[in-house]
Amino acid sequence: MKHLNNIWAVAKRECKILYVNRIYFYSMVVFPLLAMIFFTTLMDDGIPQEMPVGVVDLDNTTLTRALGRKLDGFQNSRVIARYPSVAEARKAMQENEIYGFLYLPKGTTDKLLASRRPTITFFYSQTSLTAGSMVMKDLKTTATLAAMGVGQATMRAKGLTDRQMATLLQPIRLDLHQVVNPWGNYNMYLSTVFVPGVMMLFMFLISAYSLGMELKFGRGKEWLGMADNNMVVAILGKYLPQAFVFSSIIFFYEFYIYGILHFPHEGDMWDMLLLMVLQVFSSIGFGIFIFGLMPSLRMSMSICSLWAVLSFSLAGSAFPMMGMDASLQAITWLFPLRHYYMLYQITVFNGYPLIDAWFHLVALIAFTLTPWFVLSKVKNAMLNYVYIP
Amino acid sequence: MSIFRKLLCWLDDATYVWRQELKHVFRDEGVLMFCIVVPLGYPLLYSWIYNNETVHEVPVVVVDQSRSQLSRQFIRMCDASPDVKVACYAVDLDDAKSLVSRQVVKGIYYIPEDFATRLNRMEQGTISVYCDMALMLTYKAIYQTALSVTTQMGVAIKRSVSGNYTARDDLVSTSPLQIEEVAVFNPAGGYGSSVIPAVLMLIIQQTLALGVGMAAGTSRERSRYSDLIPINRCYSSVGRIICGKSMCYLMIYAVMSTYLAVVVPRMFNYIHMAPLSSLVVLMIPYLLACVFFAQTVCCLVHYRENVILLMVFISMILMFLSGVSWPQSSIPSYWQGVSWLFPSTFGIRAYIRLNSMGATLADVSFELMCLWILVVFYFAMACIVYAVEMSLSKRHTVERLEVLRKKRAVRLQLKKKAG
Repeated sequence: MKHLNNIWAVAKRECKILYVNRIYFYSMVVFPLLAMIFFTTLMDDGIPQEMPVGVVDLDNTTLTRALGRKLDGFQNSRVIARYPSVAEARKAMQENEIYGFLYLPKGTTDKLLASRRPTITFFYSQTSLTAGSMVMKDLKTTATLAAMGVGQATMRAKGLTDRQMATLLQPIRLDLHQVVNPWGNYNMYLSTVFVPGVMMLFMFLISAYSLGMELKFGRGKEWLGMADNNMVVAILGKYLPQAFVFSSIIFFYEFYIYGILHFPHEGDMWDMLLLMVLQVFSSIGFGIFIFGLMPSLRMSMSICSLWAVLSFSLAGSAFPMMGMDASLQAITWLFPLRHYYMLYQITVFNGYPLIDAWFHLVALIAFTLTPWFVLSKVKNAMLNYVYIP
Repeated sequence: MSIFRKLLCWLDDATYVWRQELKHVFRDEGVLMFCIVVPLGYPLLYSWIYNNETVHEVPVVVVDQSRSQLSRQFIRMCDASPDVKVACYAVDLDDAKSLVSRQVVKGIYYIPEDFATRLNRMEQGTISVYCDMALMLTYKAIYQTALSVTTQMGVAIKRSVSGNYTARDDLVSTSPLQIEEVAVFNPAGGYGSSVIPAVLMLIIQQTLALGVGMAAGTSRERSRYSDLIPINRCYSSVGRIICGKSMCYLMIYAVMSTYLAVVVPRMFNYIHMAPLSSLVVLMIPYLLACVFFAQTVCCLVHYRENVILLMVFISMILMFLSGVSWPQSSIPSYWQGVSWLFPSTFGIRAYIRLNSMGATLADVSFELMCLWILVVFYFAMACIVYAVEMSLSKRHTVERLEVLRKKRAVRLQLKKKAG
């Protein structure tokens, strides 16, 4: 009971600190929400649409013009210009006007009608992978459809039925199932990792920052005094209000993406809540642990920020972990965001059983418990260290 | 005093500020870390992460219910492709699904019972592809491999049933139109080659802002009234301070940005087409804009650590605003507007086009112009915020002087009384 009272007292003190220093409000509420709004509005289209492409049509017949129109009709591409030569089109790419272009050389139609197998070429830039692959898809489909169209005309002339033609044009059909995210929507794919990543970044930073500020303003003794020099009580009391604020923000985020934006999810609410709790406590645990390792405000915050920035890459959501070197694959275990991402995609996104993500669940719990190892160091820092600017 | 002497005096003061700032930088381990260690180390780390550039041998599971020569050919061809590896065979879809759930495989190829029968009956056969959409790159590998294998098998089937007489007939009937695909600028579609140039440029701006912000925070904390500008004859005008401080950071970042923009791409063999002269023309306005931007931002910071809270998360946002991860043409106009406030947006775009796409300076003239505008804008902003800071610190000094004077007067009076 005494401990509970102490925790309550420390928590009340912490609430006051959070209220007085405005930076807490910004980093715990404003910035995370800003990141949430940024990522979800940036990729609101889901997949990039109407990306500028060009056509170099040196043949200029009804057939080649129809190809240009067909390309324009696709959802992801918009033909913004026709260029007189490949060199001009390449220059347009270098000037950032188009992402790719279709090249129809002179004599395409003539050769096609004479069965002389003309070549048409499409060029696309891969400097932005998303844009490149989307534009590539449309350019390729246009070209393939053109080839199919010719075959179809020949077959129809020979008197084949529609079903026969379909079989001959495409003997094996692919039946693609993009499980859970059938649109290939990038918003649902990236926002669900990057926004929690930004929130984790702030949880790391704020948990190290709030400990460091005690040291900086020499309030450490007062803080420990309120907890009767019991570190567990002191830490629990200090971080309960923060955990509460962060949980509310994450709860709001989940309500926003699942309730309002209707992101797909196979897992139920309990999976989400479990993930939320683990995310908050593992991140706070990690922040305290880093501060315990280096009880200096500046160093611990620097390490936390560098760690958090790296975790966006090492989470393996954009570039998969299996593509990395083996030693890096092991290093990814040290990043809470990696485990968060795995747990998210297995239980919440795909709705698979929790047991299949047990390793990541255990890892997040382990991060939550890491402060245990540094309790005495933090205590020592609070009682004996002097802040050096 | 002649103009010449005034100028000399001005230069003298500016160089004094320059030297002081340099001393601060090298004494402060926080600043040192962000201005020296991070720019040196992070490119190496990121290059290591994206070292393999593409994903190969994505594991898939096959549910082969057809068990025919054709279905086995499909599986063999998929397995032989560079991007996909057939890791397991499953009895049915549920079995396969549990393998996906356990992260053993990333996708399922399902070949139904009537696959070969239908093909032999000259009907369309179907293969189902199920992809785990948690990873876009593996989805693409799995789908595109299946697509190219079925197309290839389709051509063979078409030939065998078309009843043509000559090889030429076969060619014309299966592909009347040849299609050539050319991926330009980053032909392998490497992930690192597309992302790292942007990261390199972003590191310059972000570490500068963090370093300058930390240094500013330190000088505030050292001062009695948390003023940014110390009271000193040499710190008597805005121009001197900004020039002196900028020279210090320009000096450090001339080295760092050469390393980032020139050395790193050559070390890891990223595409590097830009001649050195174009890079110099780009880096001068970029560095200037970043230095003045950093100085403007640092005045917003009262505690030195707050700059970390502010700048680090913006990196993620700036990365997406540069148009590398998400195409520039699809960025909503209001975010485009926001992105114009940051030098990194133009720096990244111009650098990628110069270095990865072989553009000339004329092709990036718009970005260069915007960078110069930002140089002027942030220089003006830096002047304004420094002028405000200076008047603040002057006021504090005057107040302090008053207090001291009053104290002395009181002390003198007390002395008189005692005497």
